[in-house]
Amino acid sequence: MPLYELGVILDPEATPDQESGALERLEKIITDAGGDVVNKDARGRRKLAFPIQKRTMGVYHFWRFNAEGAVQEPLGFELRTNDVVLRSLVLNLDREMRNQRKLDRVQQAKIAKKAARGAAAVDAEEES
Amino acid sequence: MVMARKKRFRRRAKVCRFTVEKIGYIDYKDLDLLRDFVPVNGKILPRRVTGTSPAYQHKLARAIKRARYMALLPYAGD
Repeated sequence: MPLYELGVILDPEATPDQESGALERLEKIITDAGGDVVNKDARGRRKLAFPIQKRTMGVYHFWRFNAEGAVQEPLGFELRTNDVVLRSLVLNLDREMRNQRKLDRVQQAKIAKKAARGAAAVDAEEES
Repeated sequence: MVMARKKRFRRRAKVCRFTVEKIGYIDYKDLDLLRDFVPVNGKILPRRVTGTSPAYQHKLARAIKRARYMALLPYAGD
């Protein structure tokens, strides 16, 4: 199951009920598809860089979740049709992080190599 | 002649910040980082100004465009 990142901007003029309702529906879609939300980052109200649907503020939420690719269809539909959602973006983080993982692997290998060389040097010293 | 050569202005070599700091993934939410590459007019600074390597300029541009889509950065500034 790939790791996805979902970013949504919700309508700041929506009632708290509507807001929490929309978030619950999104979470339900993810869990119904056999996924689970790993991380929830609620940034709260923030001024938009430009107005969207005549709103100058937006409520930001960023989630990370594991789910099968099939979740995209119902999730995308919900994000498009729910009036409380001003804008949304779903990224496949597994794909995005490929380069980061590669860099990390190289870094790990370097550290391991350095440690091995250090240990070898110590051994050589003990023998002599 | 010798004095003139000594006084000549030497430009500092530009380095790619992402290569130096080993950043693999540029997050569109990391506005502090992105703002360094977007002046107030909202345009993406070219490689020849910032020294970013081609591969990272590509990733950076993508991150900035995502941030714009999510209304975190402006499409056009003042």
